[in-house]
Amino acid sequence: MRCKEASQQLQLYLDNRLTIEQVRSLEAHLISCNACREELIMFESVINDLESFKVVAEPDDLNEKIMRRVALAATQQAPSPSKFSLWRPSLLEILVAAALATVATIGTILQQPAIRSLLPVANGHDRLSLMFINLLHTLISVDSTTLILALWIAGTVLGVGITLIFAGSEMRTQWFKAMMERLPVR
Amino acid sequence: MSEHSLQSSQTIGIPLTHVVPSALEQDDLLLVAASKNGDQEAFAQLVQRYQRIVFNLVYRMLQHYEEATEITQETFLAAWQGLPSFRGDARFPTWLYRIAYNFSLKQLELRKRDRALQIALEAEKTLEQANDQQREDAELDAHDRRMLIQEHLSHLPSKYRIVLVLRHLQDMTYEEMAEILTMPIGTIKTHLFRARNLLKERIQSIYRDSDTG
Repeated sequence: MRCKEASQQLQLYLDNRLTIEQVRSLEAHLISCNACREELIMFESVINDLESFKVVAEPDDLNEKIMRRVALAATQQAPSPSKFSLWRPSLLEILVAAALATVATIGTILQQPAIRSLLPVANGHDRLSLMFINLLHTLISVDSTTLILALWIAGTVLGVGITLIFAGSEMRTQWFKAMMERLPVR
Repeated sequence: MSEHSLQSSQTIGIPLTHVVPSALEQDDLLLVAASKNGDQEAFAQLVQRYQRIVFNLVYRMLQHYEEATEITQETFLAAWQGLPSFRGDARFPTWLYRIAYNFSLKQLELRKRDRALQIALEAEKTLEQANDQQREDAELDAHDRRMLIQEHLSHLPSKYRIVLVLRHLQDMTYEEMAEILTMPIGTIKTHLFRARNLLKERIQSIYRDSDTG
């Protein structure tokens, strides 16, 4: 083996990339060639120096820092709850809102005595109207506290209902689940 | 440059294949799958597992502690954001290394553009001082030579530095390096040979100078 060939194989030798025959041939050359042996020692020393570099400790809070950025990125990546999402109701919610609006409109119309008198019901003289008026009179005459309580309960139920309609289905499910968990009986 | 090094028993010169046996690879796959579904705790485990080797790779490429910290964060953030595109063709750490290497290259490019960057100047100054010091010395002891190699390593072209870091600090095979750097094995071999030759020649020239001087 010539020195040129040996020199080309030295690094492969150190990386264990030579065949057994090549290793034998190279080692035989190294025994008899001082220059190649010195070159090998030099490569070995460079590699040893490189491999003697110690592992460097990362900052203690590296994981925390990374995960903080990941959490931030995850928030930005998540299907962003559009600011208009609250105003994108489902079909059912639209129907309920439409029903409420219809009732409110009818109520406003019925406030007009001229229109009300034309109706077969709720005109102030029929049985239904009289029953409603009697009930109202009873509530007022019996106890004003009862009336306030009734109005308070009705107002609360209405408020909760409207909030749940606009909160979206996910919030409604969570609310319902939380309520069920707090119930004393199942 | 201060070395935030650990005990030698924790040196990173352990083959990656030994660090990550197949059981861990399986576990990686499970954690990756969970992370893909948005499980941040699973991803935190992957970070915990690989942050040291990624940090060390970046640190050896950049030779700057704070920059290495920042680039390691960027690497994991990019990994999190790129998880949907990770198909599992390569092992997770291989994929992670590739990201870390690309970010390190970008950072080095940024440095190049900004010639006035303090780090580069300081590094150069330190190298000159180290060279002068070494020339003055009649003999180089092992510690000095190691310091010198470290300095020269930081001044090698990045394509040479990365193969030295992967081969000798992370004990990777030619095949693993080729996978990470997406290069043919022949190119890896050429880069590695040139890199080691450059280091050897520099050390030899200093030996010669100290002999004649």
